[in-house]
Amino acid sequence: MTEEQEESIDLDAKLDEMLLNMRLPDPSELQARIDAIATSDDLGEFHKDHLGRGSVIAKELKNLGKLPDEQRKEAGRRIHAVRQDLQRRIDARQEAISIQEKAGQIAAEGIDVTLDSRHYSIGSLHLIQQVIDEVSDIFIGLGYKVADGPEAELAWYNFDALNTPKDHPGRLESDTMYLDYGDPADEMLLRAHTSPVQARYMEAHEPPVYIVVPGKCYRNDTVDASHLPVFYQIEGLAVDSGIQFSDLKGTLAEFARQFLGPRTEVRLRPHYFPFTEPSAEMDATCPSCEGANTSCRVCGGSGWLELLGCGMVDPNVFDAVGYNPADVTGFAFGAGVERLAMVRYGIEDMRHFVDNDLRFLAQFPG
Amino acid sequence: MRVSLQWLKEYIDLPTDDVAGLKRAFDMLGHAVESVEILEADWTSVVVGKVLTVDAHPDADKVRVTTVDVGTGDPYQIICGAWNFEAGAVVPVALPGAVLPGGFAIGSRAIRGVDSHGMICSESELGLGDDHDGIMVLADETPIGGDFVDQLELPDVVFELEITNNRPDVMSMVGVARELAAWFGIEYREPEIQLETVPGEPQVSITISAPDGCNRFTAREVRGMKLGKSPLWMRERLRKAGVRAISNAVDVTNYVMMELGHPLHAFDADTIANNVLDVRWAQRGEDLATLDGSIRELTPEDLVIVDAAGPTSLAAIMGGARSEVTKATSNVLMEAAHWNPTTVMYSSRRQDLQSEASKRFERNVDPNLAPRANDRACQLLARVAGGEVLESQIDIVANGFEPATVELPTSEVQRLLGDRFTTDMSADLLRRLELGVAVDGDTIRVSVPTYRPDLTRPADLVEEVARLADFDTFEATLPTGPAGGLDEGQKLTRVIVTTLRGLGLNQAVNLPFVSQEELAAFSEKVADVVSVRNPLRDDQSKLRQSLLPALLRNVRENLNRGAPGVPLFEIGRVFYAQPWSEDARVPDQPNRLAIAMAGSLGGTEADAAAALGVVTALAQRLGLEVDREAVQPRGYHPTRTASLELHGKSIGYAGEVHPDVLAIFEIERRVAVVEVELSPLIAGHSARQMRPVSTFPHVDFDLSFDVPSGLAGGDLVEATARASVLLEGAEVFDDFVHPESGQRSIAIRYRLRAPDRTLDRSEIETERAKLVAAAAALGATLRGG
Repeated sequence: MTEEQEESIDLDAKLDEMLLNMRLPDPSELQARIDAIATSDDLGEFHKDHLGRGSVIAKELKNLGKLPDEQRKEAGRRIHAVRQDLQRRIDARQEAISIQEKAGQIAAEGIDVTLDSRHYSIGSLHLIQQVIDEVSDIFIGLGYKVADGPEAELAWYNFDALNTPKDHPGRLESDTMYLDYGDPADEMLLRAHTSPVQARYMEAHEPPVYIVVPGKCYRNDTVDASHLPVFYQIEGLAVDSGIQFSDLKGTLAEFARQFLGPRTEVRLRPHYFPFTEPSAEMDATCPSCEGANTSCRVCGGSGWLELLGCGMVDPNVFDAVGYNPADVTGFAFGAGVERLAMVRYGIEDMRHFVDNDLRFLAQFPG
Repeated sequence: MRVSLQWLKEYIDLPTDDVAGLKRAFDMLGHAVESVEILEADWTSVVVGKVLTVDAHPDADKVRVTTVDVGTGDPYQIICGAWNFEAGAVVPVALPGAVLPGGFAIGSRAIRGVDSHGMICSESELGLGDDHDGIMVLADETPIGGDFVDQLELPDVVFELEITNNRPDVMSMVGVARELAAWFGIEYREPEIQLETVPGEPQVSITISAPDGCNRFTAREVRGMKLGKSPLWMRERLRKAGVRAISNAVDVTNYVMMELGHPLHAFDADTIANNVLDVRWAQRGEDLATLDGSIRELTPEDLVIVDAAGPTSLAAIMGGARSEVTKATSNVLMEAAHWNPTTVMYSSRRQDLQSEASKRFERNVDPNLAPRANDRACQLLARVAGGEVLESQIDIVANGFEPATVELPTSEVQRLLGDRFTTDMSADLLRRLELGVAVDGDTIRVSVPTYRPDLTRPADLVEEVARLADFDTFEATLPTGPAGGLDEGQKLTRVIVTTLRGLGLNQAVNLPFVSQEELAAFSEKVADVVSVRNPLRDDQSKLRQSLLPALLRNVRENLNRGAPGVPLFEIGRVFYAQPWSEDARVPDQPNRLAIAMAGSLGGTEADAAAALGVVTALAQRLGLEVDREAVQPRGYHPTRTASLELHGKSIGYAGEVHPDVLAIFEIERRVAVVEVELSPLIAGHSARQMRPVSTFPHVDFDLSFDVPSGLAGGDLVEATARASVLLEGAEVFDDFVHPESGQRSIAIRYRLRAPDRTLDRSEIETERAKLVAAAAALGATLRGG
């Protein structure tokens, strides 16, 4: 040991004595207590006791100023070392406690996600509305507009303008609902189909005409599973120069593919309507069984669904609305909206459409 | 129209028996197949036998012991409970081991000590009819020992066809054969009519006093016939056609109707009073006992055949009881007449009597078919009921009908069907229909037989050409139309319904019929009601003037079904009578939107606040400023209802239903309702322009006002809101009435924000003072201020 060394030992001994007098805590001795602290609050208390204003360390820091210069430096270093050590230990503990506390909080605020405790209700569009909108949109895509007309209608538009013979059974009160209204010679009824709108539209517009007409229609039927006195049709009319029977077929084929699915095929069968000539009924291949199920509930096993009536506009109709039948040709078609909905959604009783039972309505929000 | 394939073969040699192929032919001809029935004998081991002996049973009164030759040598001893035959009768015999319909097994057994081997069968036991009064007695010439099935044209296929109203000619076997012949390009046969007659004039003289109702009347007498059962072949064909066999005289008329399509009527010639028949309109007060056993009051629009004693037949529809052919009948007057289709249609509807005959006449039977049909009926009657046909046929023609000629230019065919339809092709197709076809350059001149009243114009012939060309052969093309789309109103209507759906409301669809009481519940314009002349129900004969009555019914029914809450809306027309003008020939029928909410919705009981809230949300979606004012419209709750105003004009109401009206509809909950005109909602909409969004901070403060009674809260909010241009929002957060003083206080939270700066304290004070001043102008004072 050199003299210098001896001297320094001597100094160190003095310093040690002084530092011992500082009564600084030993952080490693406190570790067990720190580890035993379980909450942020308790740790905060501990922090305050050992590093806060009234703590031993704070007091010694305050005393630093009274020390001689050569000692103050070392004492300061020591105090800071202890303070930092303790702070690190507290911080580490705080981190652990925070993780635990967050986990605890998250665990405590758990809910049973399999149950609804708050209700938001969505309503529904009526299936009739949905089908009308969907069919309208298909034809809008094909270049059609949507037209509308009165439900309380003149017999002239409902029958005469549409080439219906004076003695057609459809005119009887057993079939059509008449209104007590206006001039008895100008007979008024609840329209039996949407076709009067064809006549009204052509009266008011020059060709070309491409329209669909959705709307309420009326027939003197009592309510049962397959009849309603009030039902909906959607009607189409295309009048232009050069329209041919094949255009009718192509248009309806496109409609059927869009409405029932891309694999759908259609066939036209001759039929009779006063306002078209030739007239036809359109069948579409059954979207449910595609002809593969002889006991299919949708098509009855035939593989075909009778979907709508159609035909080339009768020249008498053009005459009645002031078009020259030599200048234009056209086609018209009309489908029962309920029928389309029944086919699409597997509904077997028409009364569902007017019962307004929420248990039915809510099944089809639209 | 039920078409038996076996019967049809009498008139056509079909190229195929394939059911699917024939079904397609019918479908593509326009005679849609509604059903296909395969008919087969539902039994085994039934043969034709001849009864040799009939003896009493030694120990039983109700049965007899027979011996029957079934062609196998030894006769069978069979005990039989029927009494409608004697020795010599030819009968169907179920041999021991046979199984009859319903799995009924036939064996050998003893009945009271006498052995019985097999059974002699009745119609009902073989499932051939409902006659179980006795066993079937077959024609004497039926081959003994043969299989009984051979007598029945079995197996067979019955196609049930839907014949459209314009094709009366296809409501007959011959007409169906004619159509199939055209489809397959082959021939068909009319039945051969060879009438053996004896000289003689009918004892009856006939006149037509109503030529506007009867175009032609033919009659012929068959003398000395004997009423009885028709032969099996005729009964079987009628059965397959869905016609009940009655007696040979009646069956013959039905058979000819099914075969040729012309209805007939058989009179007992000896019951015709004074031997005179006239066709005339009925007189008021007359009545007629018809064959169905009812007494029918006649009107001057009913056409009748009368004799000296008055009406004896309802022309074209049903015969009278007085001249009915009975067992006592010997001389029959066979009538085939052509009636005015319109007359028949109205008369049959009025008498609520639609028969196979009236169905054909009202579609218009061939006016020139009557004489042939009459001959055919007389021929068959003499064959199946005996008797002699008198030579002279009465044939009175009041109005004659000639074949029409229609010219069809090929250009017309091509314009509608396409260029592939050359003149030759069209002419060939039309010829297949047995039309008279002459080609003259590019025009086809067609002579249309009178059995095709539907072919009067070129367009009608175009349809025939298209039909026979087979619709399946047409291409599928698309026309090139203009651009399509919805107009603004249609788009907005969709916005409205989807917005209401988003608010939790379900769209309803109701019938627009209401009772007088329901109408009066909400309507202030009952005088303008529009009524249905022929309503489905007398108590639902008015057209609605409000959508609410039906929605209230829906509310009640849903609540009764256990729905905790009922949120419904509907869009539909209401109907008001209006003064006639050239532009207003029909009733005013505007579209309305109505909402009804009841019960628990979103955790709270629906009330007027819910109705008002929905209106506010909808108005917000549509960009409309809807003002409200307390009103008392009919049917609504007097203190919980607002008038909804757009640009100062009322467009409807929102609130609750009046308790008295709820009582009428038997609803015990509050019902929140809205009903507004649709068109102003759509018309009031305008395109939005963006307002700048301020980046500066807002200032919120509350003001609490004591308000004078009678001041509407909405007016206070609106007046104060208008007082400051910096106001961004104003929301009532408290509204109470002091229980003692009765003083109402309204507390409002205001939000200020400037677009371009942060507001300073003095500015805020200035704005606040403006709000307070605006409130003061309405008599509202700042609480504690």
